Amino acid sequence: MDKKILIVEDDPNISNIIKMNLALIHYETEQVYDGISALEALEREKFDLVLLDVMIPKLDGYALMEKIRPKGIPVIFLTAKNTVFDKVTGLKLGADDYMVKPFEGIELLARIETVLRRYGKEEAEIIIDDVRVYPNKRIATLKDEPVELTPKEFDLLVVLINNKNLALSREQFLDKVWGIDYYGDTRTVDVHIKSLRKKLGLHDRIKTIFKIGYRLED
Amino acid sequence: MKFWHKIFTYSILVFILIFNATSVIVIERNHGKMLTREINNALSQNMNIHSSVDAILPIVLIYDSEQYEKNVLANIAKAFVGKVGDEGVYMTITNDKGKSIYNNTDFEISLNRAETEKLKSDEIRYIVRDVGKRTILFTSNLTEINRKIYTFTYMKDITSVYRERMDQYRFYLKVDIIACSAYMLIMFIVSRRLTIPIHRLIRTAQFIAAGAFSERAESRSKDEIGVLANNFNIMASVIEEKIKDLERLNREKQLFIDNFTHELKTPLTSIIGYADYLRTAKTDASQLLDGLNVILSEGKRLESLSFKLMNLIMLEGTEYPMEDMEFCSILAEIKPALEMKARVKRIAIKTSCETARLPLEKDLMKILIFNLVDNAIKASSESQCIAIRTFRQGSDYILEIEDEGMGIESEHLDRIFEPFYMTDKARSRRNNGTGLGLSICQSIATLHNAVISVRSVPDRGTTFSITFRRGGAVL
Repeated sequence: MDKKILIVEDDPNISNIIKMNLALIHYETEQVYDGISALEALEREKFDLVLLDVMIPKLDGYALMEKIRPKGIPVIFLTAKNTVFDKVTGLKLGADDYMVKPFEGIELLARIETVLRRYGKEEAEIIIDDVRVYPNKRIATLKDEPVELTPKEFDLLVVLINNKNLALSREQFLDKVWGIDYYGDTRTVDVHIKSLRKKLGLHDRIKTIFKIGYRLED
Repeated sequence: MKFWHKIFTYSILVFILIFNATSVIVIERNHGKMLTREINNALSQNMNIHSSVDAILPIVLIYDSEQYEKNVLANIAKAFVGKVGDEGVYMTITNDKGKSIYNNTDFEISLNRAETEKLKSDEIRYIVRDVGKRTILFTSNLTEINRKIYTFTYMKDITSVYRERMDQYRFYLKVDIIACSAYMLIMFIVSRRLTIPIHRLIRTAQFIAAGAFSERAESRSKDEIGVLANNFNIMASVIEEKIKDLERLNREKQLFIDNFTHELKTPLTSIIGYADYLRTAKTDASQLLDGLNVILSEGKRLESLSFKLMNLIMLEGTEYPMEDMEFCSILAEIKPALEMKARVKRIAIKTSCETARLPLEKDLMKILIFNLVDNAIKASSESQCIAIRTFRQGSDYILEIEDEGMGIESEHLDRIFEPFYMTDKARSRRNNGTGLGLSICQSIATLHNAVISVRSVPDRGTTFSITFRRGGAVL
């Protein structure tokens, strides 16, 4: 079942770009443009996560947060304010994370994924063609046969899945899989991608994007 | 040492010093008087004895018998000692060989008697001596009888005089202790009470120092401390006001920065978000076009924001040279541009201008009129009318810009001049609005010593008026 995310953001352009980014990895979204409509949407439906802008009309993000907290729904604040005080205010109110505008799509996705994992709402099984991936058990199968993957190959596969349909640069893969203090060559990524394609038969799925990097496509 | 300790201690010290000194002086003076009286009495008694001896002298001379002399003198002595009748009165008579003729003393008289040495006849000397526990006054004189010198010593026990002095000292010591205790008690209360207002003042000062700026000192007394408290309160008020001013300024500044950050980051978020998406995601042609459109329009919004902000920053704290100018000529200059802008909505602009020369900064005045008319056009529906009027009213010169548009709800009227304030954010954004236009207009009006005001009826229209206060300087 796809996760459903409520986007509370008064600027339609920003709301749309968030929606587009989330659609890439099959998150279902609903967009509302003020605090009151957000409350109504929350009453009406169940959401797995709320992306909440602080400066929204009618009922501001902090006030809305107070009303969301009892429901136990994870919340990520989106805001233009970048002071420690604002961050602390948001987190103290019970927000799970805090994103300062402007932000990039992959950062948003990474934070959503982290928060969802903390809430145990991560996918237990991901299916790509004949490949099944169980991130919690760290097992991958091809046609129901277990595939031997090195730890780094498995991590790389998870990063690709979490950023499905988005192209990441080799540097970004290095950061996410090997860590920011890794001083290796970006060709390490190429080697691992090549190995993943071969072991899992994902030559058509993992695309090389010219001048950028790689992208896992549906 | 606390202030009340000082008051207390110093006053007690002074009191003890003066009280005791006075006591000592009084007691010593009384004692001195009594002693003098005793001495005078003794001396006169001695004189009496001397006179008696003188009186009887002829008879003694007739007999010329040493034994007789002795008897006579002893009798005189007895008579006197008995006559005085007091206890503690003694007498000795000794001849020139030092032999005692009469002695009724009950104590040993020391042989060393300085007062009798080189004593001349017709001279009386006295001395006070401690004998055992008693104090005795000795008075001595010489009398010559038959060429024999006799020493008459009349003595008086004056122990009581000294005892009296001691009694007085003892009594004064009791009085002293009681008086000092009473005084200490009174001074304790007085000094504490005197310093209570000071303590209150200290507490108030501590409160204020801790940040309770609305705290005030009580000042009931009219003395120096009352005056101090009053002045302290005045000072506290001034500080409180200044701090409130600073806080208000700071809040305004913070609000401006918050709003500015928001207005800056919103388009940036869209631009970066779309550019990144177009770059990394698989997109079709229509998504590409939509994305590019958003990037373009948000870019324009940033451009507009930066221009407006530059205007606003330039207006702050810059001196603009004003030139006496015909107002109507400025209006005529700008009118074609305004009409071109209004043509899109087929809006008619009517102008009526009363000629007047006043000190103006031409470019700023154009920005002001342009902003207000631009707002009017945005608020108007198609084919409505916008009126620009200038006229004199008393000594003032007034510029009015009136539209027949949607008007402004009264709840917004107070705040529309605040930077970044938008009555309808979505609509403002569509028109590339930044919420800065009216702030700029207000700054320009202030530079021209003019006041900007607004009246509006929703759905009927809005009128902005700029009142140039010249107090008759309008030509």
